[in-house]
Formats: sequence, structure tokens, C-alpha cells
Amino acid sequence: MDASQALAELIELSSQVERAVVLDSGGAVLGSTEESEEAAQRLARAALDALAAAGDLHFSSGEVTGVEVELADGGLFVLREGIRTIAATTGPSPTAGLVAYDLRTCLQRIEEEEKPKRRRARKKTEKENEEKNE
Amino acid sequence: MRKLLRLVVLAGLAVWAWHHFVGRREPHERASVSFSDGSAIVLEPTSAEFERLASIARSAIRT
Repeated sequence: MDASQALAELIELSSQVERAVVLDSGGAVLGSTEESEEAAQRLARAALDALAAAGDLHFSSGEVTGVEVELADGGLFVLREGIRTIAATTGPSPTAGLVAYDLRTCLQRIEEEEKPKRRRARKKTEKENEEKNE
Repeated sequence: MRKLLRLVVLAGLAVWAWHHFVGRREPHERASVSFSDGSAIVLEPTSAEFERLASIARSAIRT
């Protein structure tokens, strides 16, 4: 499943997530629920800013893996897993645990799609190498 | 028995009214950060760190 498909499923299944974006390790947008590219970039920027602000806390030697901010008018959730980051906004009083679970599931669906692709690519390379050796 | 029942109903009403009219006025705001080593921190709503994250979140929520 590609990022856009996984995000579309997330929005359909989650009653709390309003908008979401998936970023790669370099911060580039891989998929978004936003209609415009500009809006997706804005949400991506906010996610990266939130991660940077959380990193500036220097609370732990580990990397920041999640930032959750709940305000009176909504929430911002940023989750980093592996090489991808997902960010989502919600309405007021979200169920934080449920939102985090939905976001993690969305990232895992994208990851599941990537693994067979990588395996296929590796097999292909191995086969080509064997043919060259013969 | 009737007095006791009335007391229970009144107490229930008082708790509901408190939650409905007073409890809701306080906005529930929180921010937390988790790290790869399993540690996590919940930021104090009055702290500068909380305010920094809150302003980022506000701009994301409103756009």
C-alpha cells in the first residue's frame, strides 16, 4: 500500500484524525490527505518543527519518536518510526492512545508494502549476479 | 429511607452540575514527548517548552 492509500484508509477508519501527512527521512512529503500541495507542506513543516522543538528539550539521549500536543481547539500528533514520520491533526479532546495507534498502524501498512518490494529487488539483483557469473 | 434517596439524588445532581458548568471551562491542554529509549516527558502547561510546541500545534490545527 502506498502512502496516499494508507492515509486515505486512515481517514476513513479514524473518526478523530482530520488531516495527515507522511514524510520520508529527509522531510519530503510521501503522501497527504490535504487537497493542496501547499497545505501538505505546511503540515509537514509543523511536524518537523515539533520534532525539532522536542529534540531541543535534551531530556533523553534517545531520538524523539513521538510528540503529542492536545489543545482546546484540537490536537497535533507526530510519530516517527524507522525512516518515516507521520503527522496528524485532530479535533478537540482526542483519545490520544487511539490516535497514536491509528497512526502507527498506518505507518506499518506502508512499511509492509515496502518489504516485499525490497525482497523482490534483492532477489532480482542476486539472480542477475548469478547469471553474470555463469 | 426517602431522605437518604433524596440526599443521593441531590449529591449526584451537584456532581453533574459541577462537571458540566465548572469542569468544562478549564481547557484540557497537554503536551508529551516520547523517545527511542522508551522514556517520555509530559510538559508543564505553563512552561516555555509547552508554549513552543503549543504554538506549532496551533498553527497546524488552524491552517
